Amino acid sequence: MASLAATLDRLRPGPRFERWILERVRQRRGPPQLPFTLEYRHIYVMPTRFGAWFGLLLATITIGGLNFNNNMALLLGFVLAAIAQLTSLLAYRDLVGITLSGINTSPVFAGENAAFRIYLKNPEPRHRFAVQVISDESTEVEDIGPQQSACFALKQASFVRGWMELLPFRLQNRYPLGLFRAWSIIIPTARCLVYPKPAGNPPPLPRTRRGDNGTAQPGEGEHFHGLRDYQPGDALRRVAWRTSARHDKLYSKVMETPREEACELNWYLMGHQAPEEKLCILAAWILIAERRGIPYSLELPADSLPAGLGDEHREACLKILALYGT
Amino acid sequence: MYWVVAALAIAMSPQVLRMTLPVILMCLTPITWRLLAEAKNWKPLPKLVRHGITALSLIILAITYGGLFGRRASVSLLTVMLALKLLECERIRDARLIASFGFFLCATQFLFTQGIPMLAYGLTTVVVGLTALAQLQRQEAFEQVAAAPSPRASMFSDITFSLRLLLLAIPVGIAFFVFFPRWATPLWGVPETSLDAKSGLSDTMSPGSIQSLFMDDSPALRAVFAGPRPGNSDLYWRGPVFWHYEDNAWTGSFYGRNIEAGIIPDAGDASWDYSVQLEPSERNWLFSLDYPTVAPQDSRITMDFQVLRRQPVLQLLQYRMRSNPRHVDSPELKATLRAMALELPKNLNPRSRELMARWQRETPQPAALIRRVLDHFNQENFHYSLEAPLLGRHAVDDFLFDTRSGYCEHYASAFAVLMRMAGIPSRVVTGYQGGWYSELGNYFLVRQSDAHAWVEVWLPRVGWTRVDPTAAVSPLRVQQGSRGALSAPRHMLDFDWVRGARNGVDLLEQRWNDWVLEFSAQSQARMFADLGLDYISPAGLVITLFSALIVIGLILLPVAWRMASHGDGDPVQRTWQKFIRRLKKAGYHHPPSAGAMELASAVAVSLPGNSVEVSHIARLFSRYRYSAHPPEPGEIERAVRNFHPRKPLLE
Repeated sequence: MASLAATLDRLRPGPRFERWILERVRQRRGPPQLPFTLEYRHIYVMPTRFGAWFGLLLATITIGGLNFNNNMALLLGFVLAAIAQLTSLLAYRDLVGITLSGINTSPVFAGENAAFRIYLKNPEPRHRFAVQVISDESTEVEDIGPQQSACFALKQASFVRGWMELLPFRLQNRYPLGLFRAWSIIIPTARCLVYPKPAGNPPPLPRTRRGDNGTAQPGEGEHFHGLRDYQPGDALRRVAWRTSARHDKLYSKVMETPREEACELNWYLMGHQAPEEKLCILAAWILIAERRGIPYSLELPADSLPAGLGDEHREACLKILALYGT
Repeated sequence: MYWVVAALAIAMSPQVLRMTLPVILMCLTPITWRLLAEAKNWKPLPKLVRHGITALSLIILAITYGGLFGRRASVSLLTVMLALKLLECERIRDARLIASFGFFLCATQFLFTQGIPMLAYGLTTVVVGLTALAQLQRQEAFEQVAAAPSPRASMFSDITFSLRLLLLAIPVGIAFFVFFPRWATPLWGVPETSLDAKSGLSDTMSPGSIQSLFMDDSPALRAVFAGPRPGNSDLYWRGPVFWHYEDNAWTGSFYGRNIEAGIIPDAGDASWDYSVQLEPSERNWLFSLDYPTVAPQDSRITMDFQVLRRQPVLQLLQYRMRSNPRHVDSPELKATLRAMALELPKNLNPRSRELMARWQRETPQPAALIRRVLDHFNQENFHYSLEAPLLGRHAVDDFLFDTRSGYCEHYASAFAVLMRMAGIPSRVVTGYQGGWYSELGNYFLVRQSDAHAWVEVWLPRVGWTRVDPTAAVSPLRVQQGSRGALSAPRHMLDFDWVRGARNGVDLLEQRWNDWVLEFSAQSQARMFADLGLDYISPAGLVITLFSALIVIGLILLPVAWRMASHGDGDPVQRTWQKFIRRLKKAGYHHPPSAGAMELASAVAVSLPGNSVEVSHIARLFSRYRYSAHPPEPGEIERAVRNFHPRKPLLE
């Protein structure tokens, strides 16, 4: 029994077969144009291990039936064989016509799992049962109702910053009885931006006392903000005497205080770390600055951004870091 | 998992009915355990316990069947092992193994019987097994993402799915069946070491052995006569013949079994030409009317006219037979045989011995003596009855003088013994007597309950002559069959109409045997010969098979396509279409472009009597379609079912 299972295992199309098919698909078809509809030539059907075992069982039943001329056993064997054959067709039919309508994703930090969202649409008025989207790292499964879409989130671990391509994945099912596996290989063009991994223990934010580009808070302070009409109660030392004399009217000076000092994240002002390390530290600083609400500017040998705050600014900065040197 | 258990339970049911109690318990206990474990989330049993149980079961099986080989023992072994596998069935792989072996178990059951009930059994097994496999497949697909399969994959839809699969597969299966190349001779024999021959005649005859068959209405054989058919009193289906009487039991003789009969002349037009469909008896003998002239394939005719087959009959067997009723069997009797046919245990039955000695003095003529004994049975207070009291050591004495009631074997045994006491050589023949003639199917049906025993006595020049002492006691037994002889019903369901229905159903069974079970390499060749193809090679058969498959495919594919897309559609959409059709019937035409709520306001104008219901249904439908919390589809179905539009009184 064990040796039989081992033999079956060896006969099973293994990773080599998968690679061969992948190569073939790459040469023949290349990356799909979205939306991409699965057609008959895109779908492979092979018996599963259980299917091979079931076939062996049917062969035994049939040979036994032939030998003893036991017609009911023969009928049983033939009907089951016909059913098995039919399920290969059903497995194929469960995939054919499914449309890959789009793939999107959001950036991640190196070391995190990128989640590629794969949108499959079932344009036909019938159910697609247990459609699996399988990559080397994750498996997602879902039923797709008639004329409905489903979103499969494929996870893929990221290791280095930069663009990460989504690896080829399979649409697959073993519907309905698990005797056959129908699958199609998709070589996608989707990619995910991977930011440098934020340094675990970054040096403190480099602060300047300048708040030129910061959003200042009007009111008391040392920096001049502007003028307004004098109102009773304004302190005398705030009155802009010179301007008031020129215009025959009393004006008060409005002063301002920078809310926080802006910080300048400058590649050249950092120590002597390795470039990748610098990028990690910069990424960590960006996150810290965002968390504290401190505006920050970025200066890299290749690119620079003026000080700013907010998601958009953060993503722009991180993108510069991610693509540094590429 | 419940479906796997159900699939296995159904697959093993016929086998369980054939097993002994300890073995049955061995099968049912793991099933019960698994069901409880599923319901109560029990932990799997420790490995040691499981192995212990398996070893114990093997021992019990080996003791019960005297080994683990042979058909019955190995099928029981398979059944028990599959049941025990339920103890260790935590993974989907194990469950699949059990479900697929269920089909195999089903196939092995056909080695025992292949009647129409088995057809129903086979179909049920396939449907339940497929349902189990379909559910396992869903479970496997969703197990990887640790999500529960969506509710759409309900039990019901899986059953209908399995039924549809089966329905589509049957024509293809039949094409394979008809055209697949057959083997004319088996490659290997049937390994069989333990035949239990649960019913039917046995190779000894003791009081009660035939009586026990009286309750059994299952068919024993069917016969179709080509020419004239014999009357009821000639329908003695000859089976085992017994020569030795010892301990109140009759057994066959070595000579009888091993010396072949000489060539028997054919009687020409007076011969009976018939073909017999013998139900599996697990015995070697074939049945024929007196006297068989040709031995069927693989069998021989012995000197006492038993037809013995080399292998036991394990499946339905069809053979042609020709009998010569006018044959005179052994006008001269050899001394050894004569001695054998007169042998009696000493010192037993003194009263009978005395009586026979007296009668022999009074009537020395053998024929007259036979007449006298039969008259004695007929005129004295003898009963033909199922409730035969137990007989003691002097069984014939007890029967003849005290109990005076019994079944055919009591009479046959007593009569043969009395003949031997009077110096007339005698032997006991068992078999079947009579049969029900099906006018519709034109065949005789002989049931197990027609089992009978009679006596042959040897008379000078006349040879062996059949004497049926039962007929002397109860002439109806021979004229009307075994049931005619007894007035009381045999069991709760013993009514005329039940018997009639059973006989009608038997016609189906006979046709099934004829067309399906008897299909073989020869029938296949005959079929092609009828079509004008004298010889067709296996390659030719395969080509024919594929042509047939293509034709079937062309016919089936559109049907399959429609069935598949119909079944998969949205039930609520279908309900909605039904609703629109009803509205149309009531006179409101719904433009397909209008939405559900527009429809509601339009109907409110044209069918004011229904506006409330219509707007309710429309609201449900649009909620189902667009709401984040859609109502149950059943709710819409109910609403539409109860919707009966009232036509406006004024057009």
